[in-house]
Amino acid sequence: MASPRRQALIVLAAQIVALTVFLVVWEWAARTRLINPLFIGEPSKIFAYFFDGLFVNGVMLKGAAWTLSETAVSFLIGSVGGILFGLLFAVFPACEKFFDPVLSGLNSLPRIALAPLFVLWFGIGAASEIALGVSLTFFIVLYNTMAGTRGVDSDWLVLSRMLGASSTTIFFKVTLISAVPTIFSGLKLGLIVSLLGVIAGGIIAGQHGLGQLLSYLAGTFETNGVFAVLLLLAIIGAALTSLMNAVERHLLRWR
Amino acid sequence: MPYGGDASIRVARVTHVFPGGLLALNDVTLQVDGGEFVSIVGPSGCGKTTLLNLIAGLVEVQEGNVAVANEPPMAGRRDVAYMLARDCLLPWRSALGNVMVGGEFRRVPTAERRKRAHDFLEKVGLRGFENHYPKALSHGMRQRVALARTFSLDSPILLMDEPFGALDAQTKLQLEDALLGLWGAERRTVVFITHDLAEAVTLADRVIVMSCRPGRILADIRVSLERPRSVRALQKNPRYHEIYAQVWTKLEEGLSETNSLT
Repeated sequence: MASPRRQALIVLAAQIVALTVFLVVWEWAARTRLINPLFIGEPSKIFAYFFDGLFVNGVMLKGAAWTLSETAVSFLIGSVGGILFGLLFAVFPACEKFFDPVLSGLNSLPRIALAPLFVLWFGIGAASEIALGVSLTFFIVLYNTMAGTRGVDSDWLVLSRMLGASSTTIFFKVTLISAVPTIFSGLKLGLIVSLLGVIAGGIIAGQHGLGQLLSYLAGTFETNGVFAVLLLLAIIGAALTSLMNAVERHLLRWR
Repeated sequence: MPYGGDASIRVARVTHVFPGGLLALNDVTLQVDGGEFVSIVGPSGCGKTTLLNLIAGLVEVQEGNVAVANEPPMAGRRDVAYMLARDCLLPWRSALGNVMVGGEFRRVPTAERRKRAHDFLEKVGLRGFENHYPKALSHGMRQRVALARTFSLDSPILLMDEPFGALDAQTKLQLEDALLGLWGAERRTVVFITHDLAEAVTLADRVIVMSCRPGRILADIRVSLERPRSVRALQKNPRYHEIYAQVWTKLEEGLSETNSLT
C-alpha cells in the first residue's frame, strides 16, 4: 500500500499524462481535419489567443476587468439586499408573510427570462448585466439568511432569556451569529451566480465584458477565441470559489 | 458570604395543566430555604421540569402560588441562574467567552467578568483550556464550562435541570464532585432536577420524590450526611446506602400506586 503522499503524486502524474494525451489527440484531430477545427479549435492556437488576449493585445484582460467589476457590484447589491431583507423578515415575520407571494413567484421564475425586460429598462451594457446578476444573487442570499436565522438552537434562546438578555442582544449576539455559516454558504453561491448573471447578461446584451466577447467571437466563428475565453472564465470561477473558501475558513474557524 | 438576604423558594398548591388538558402537576407544595440544596427525583414525564420552569418563570403559573425570594418568578432575574442538560455553549466563543457570556448579557463590566470567568474555569479544572472552542472539548469538559458559566454569575439561586443527564457514568461522578466543591464554597440555594437517585442523595440536603404524571410530591427525605462530601467516600458510607434505599422505596411505591390505578 502506497503512502497517501505517494498516492497523491501518482494521481497527479496520471492527470498530467492524461491531459497531455488529450491535448495532443485534440491538436492532431484538428490539424488532420479529422474533426473540423471550426467546431473544436486547435489547442496551440487557443493558448496563443489566451496569451495574446491577456498580455499582448489585452482584449481578454479588459473584458475580464469589466466582468469582474460588474460581478463585484452585482454581488454587493444582491447580497447586502438579501441579508437586509432576510434579517428584516427574521425580526418581523409578518413582513415575510406579506411579501411571500411576490418573492416565491419571482424566485420560481427563471430569472434569465427577465433579461429582455432589463435591456428595455437599463439599455445595452453594464447596468443590464448587473441587474441580471443581482436578480440571481438576491434570492439565494435572502433564503439562506432566512434559513440561518430560523435554524437558531432554541435552548440558546431559553438560556439567553434566563440570563436576562434583551431581545436585541439575543438577536445580535446569538441568532445572527448562529446564522453566519448558512448566510456564508449563500454568499459563496451568490458570488458564482453573480458571475453567471453578468456573463449571461453580456451574451444577451453586453458592451464590454467577457460575455459580450464570447458572443462576438462565436458569431465570427473565432472558435479558438471562444475556448480561450472559456478557459479564462473557468480560472476566474475557480479563483473566486477558493477566495470565498479561504474567507470562510478564517471566519468560521470555530466550526 | 456574598449571598445574604432571602434566597428561598416557595411553591404553594400549584396545579398545572398542559394545553390539551393533560394534568402535569397536581397540588404541589414545596419550600426551599436559602442556602439549601434540594434535589427533585421522579420518573420521566412526572412534571419535574415543568415545576422547575414554573420557578424559573419560563412557564406561567396557572393555579397556586410561586415565590422566588418573596417575588413572583420571572425569566431573566439577576438572582436566578439556570442550567440545562445540554451545555448550550455558543460554538463561536472560546471556553472563556462562553463563561463570560452570562455577565455580558447582565452588563457586568468586562474586567470583572473576565476575572470571574478565569476563576471559575480554574475551579472546574479547565485551566489552560480558556481559548479552546467547544468543538475541541469533550462532553464532560463542555459541561464543566457550562457549570463555570452558571457559577460565575453572582445569582444566589441556581435552578438545574438534569445538568449531568447526558454524561457517561464516570464523567458524571467527576462533575458531581466539581459541583459539590463549587456549592460547598458558597452555599447558594439549588434546585436540582434529576432522575438519578444516587446523584440526588449524593448532592442534596433534601430529596423530593415525585410520582408519575400527574406529578405530586410523595416524600421529602432529609439527607443527613455530613459535608463536605466526596462522591467516592459516600460509596463506602452505610448511611448513604440507607438513605438511597429509602428514596428508592418511596419512588417504587409511587410507581406501583400509579400502575394499580391504571
